[in-house]
Amino acid sequence: MASGPSVFLLNVSGQIESAEFPEFDDLYCKYSFVYGHDWAPTSGVEEGISQITSKSQGGKQALVWNFPIEITFKSTNPFGWPQIVISVYGPDAFGNDVVRGYGAVHLPFTPGRHARTIPMFVPESSSRLQRFTSWFMGRRPEFTDPKVVAQGEGREVTRVRSQGCVTVSFNVVTKDLKKLGYNTGSGDFPNATTMSQP
Amino acid sequence: MNSHTHELHYSPTCAVMAEVHIIGQIIGASGFPQHSLFCKWGVHTGGAWKLLSGVVEGQTQVDHPQNDDMAFWSHPIDMHFATKGLQGWPKLHLQVWHQDTFGRNELYGYSFLHIPSTPGTHSLLSPTWRPLGTWQEQICQMFVGGGPQLKSSSLIYGGSDRYRLQTVAMGQVHLQLTVILRNFERYGVECS
Repeated sequence: MASGPSVFLLNVSGQIESAEFPEFDDLYCKYSFVYGHDWAPTSGVEEGISQITSKSQGGKQALVWNFPIEITFKSTNPFGWPQIVISVYGPDAFGNDVVRGYGAVHLPFTPGRHARTIPMFVPESSSRLQRFTSWFMGRRPEFTDPKVVAQGEGREVTRVRSQGCVTVSFNVVTKDLKKLGYNTGSGDFPNATTMSQP
Repeated sequence: MNSHTHELHYSPTCAVMAEVHIIGQIIGASGFPQHSLFCKWGVHTGGAWKLLSGVVEGQTQVDHPQNDDMAFWSHPIDMHFATKGLQGWPKLHLQVWHQDTFGRNELYGYSFLHIPSTPGTHSLLSPTWRPLGTWQEQICQMFVGGGPQLKSSSLIYGGSDRYRLQTVAMGQVHLQLTVILRNFERYGVECS
């Protein structure tokens, strides 16, 4: 029996390029991946933590990390396609690190170079009393596990405030996805309508 | 060269069925009068469709955005269907709700869209509408808030009973969805 491939590979390299947070400075970010049961990383780094960056002096006020990502996954089934989860932290007025944003996006599906702008958000206190205590104690609400932002269930109880965004670029190579019968189309946006950025 | 092109490995659970993966995000919404918004969503398919994995309905987080021109939900979607036919291609229906500072929810818009049949990544904008009600109800809504809602969500994605409604345009929902197809070529079905 001629045995064809039984798994496909998804190789992603890229970088967390930069962020826009008009209100905050001296930020660093962490990244990790969330993927389904059929998926497994075969090589590369599954999580990382960047340097602390300050805003540029010029008018653009960019926060540049230029932080590398390299990972390869294998799977038999696109269900549970990996998502990159990014969380951004920075010092508050007392010098304690607090979260400034969580965000997630699926890794691109087609071979080639892709750029993604990920909107970031932080959870909010659900009651006025909690809001007061968090203001008084100088601790703002955080997710105990940032990976919840890649999950769809149980989000109806979450209140968030969106602020800022992170720009990530990816280079994607796939292997044997077509041989296993999957058609992911080609090109990034075959019939794209322009997405308005905040 | 390709002696095994016709002997591809198919998963045993659905050896002969065509498969559709729908993966992506409900990104957020813009163009609404207020932007403290959340969204209830669901996917409706015909009888020939079988859900193999994933969830087909849910509710997003409530966003109170810092800058008030767009609400972000970044709500992930991941579904795997098997189908015997093209009839009843999946439709996504959306309900956008506004949450005020007291935690009260009011309906801001309904919308539906067909999942694109072309494989690939699609950036989509789905315009929404809400029922208008009678003029008495409209005046009441100006003072009290709230407003008429549909009794059955089938009106959102069905066309047969819409002629009874008077509606008004609301904002739009931004989505990015990737469609992955499998085994459609086997049956001569051309999707791209």
